[in-house]
Amino acid sequence: MEVIPKVKKPDGGPYKFLVVDDSQFMRKQIERIIIQIGCEVSCEAENGKDAIEKYKANKPDVVTMDITMPEMNGVEALRQIMAIDKNAIVIMMTAVGHDTIVKQSILLGAKHFIVKPFKPTEAARTIVSVLKKLGGQDA
Amino acid sequence: MKTEYVVPFVEAAISVLKDMCMITDIKRGQLNAKNDAVVTRGVAPLIGVTGQISGRVVYDMDTRTALKLASIMNGETFSEWNEFVESTIEEFANIVTGQALTGLNNKGIKVDLTPPVLFTGQNMKIANTKMMTLIVPLELSIGRIEINVSLQENK
Repeated sequence: MEVIPKVKKPDGGPYKFLVVDDSQFMRKQIERIIIQIGCEVSCEAENGKDAIEKYKANKPDVVTMDITMPEMNGVEALRQIMAIDKNAIVIMMTAVGHDTIVKQSILLGAKHFIVKPFKPTEAARTIVSVLKKLGGQDA
Repeated sequence: MKTEYVVPFVEAAISVLKDMCMITDIKRGQLNAKNDAVVTRGVAPLIGVTGQISGRVVYDMDTRTALKLASIMNGETFSEWNEFVESTIEEFANIVTGQALTGLNNKGIKVDLTPPVLFTGQNMKIANTKMMTLIVPLELSIGRIEINVSLQENK
């Protein structure tokens, strides 16, 4: 059985996530991963516009962001979140993974880019790795 | 419409079915071309394609197949249709199309996809009066999925 690593904040508390995806199915998949790595889901959003409102209201530690969504896409939401908080930790999780959009997202400030479909254990390891590089500790 | 446009979607569907759903016994049927309306099989997630190539892709299946697919994707059994099954099927279509378009973009063809829309119901017709539709059926252990592609090049 694969061991899923866990991660906690430098102060010892759990990372709180905002999960952004227009798919209820995908939000559930991502939430399972977040819980498996020892973190918490503080809020969800179904589109970029809602993501910005939830970010402002809840100030999550980490955001997972889909790209193709109604009302406002994830790249624009990323741009606006980074304008609110230049230290925001946003991890793109999307079906659209071509070079141009990956580069654009990273240049806008996304910390990583995970392409769907992903194996949950691999996505978990990637998220933990990203957070540990940013100061997270083994939990 | 070029017949080669259907290839990335078929390949992506096979890849996602194998990698995400562990469905490996997949038989690809013969390509069929239609100029008139297509009658869907009951569950038809549709994704729009925009950019250098535009149109739409439908992953057409019957309700029983859709329930089985949703069950596999979620690791639990769904025997009745509900909102969560709908979301799962929409996301299947999104992931397959995303993978297909990623390949096209990486070859220099700039294309994007729209959020999925799901049509359900018996004897629905999807008509593209100005574009040909190419259909490739995939026979799986859980049923049949028809990849239904209608795209044109934009100059």
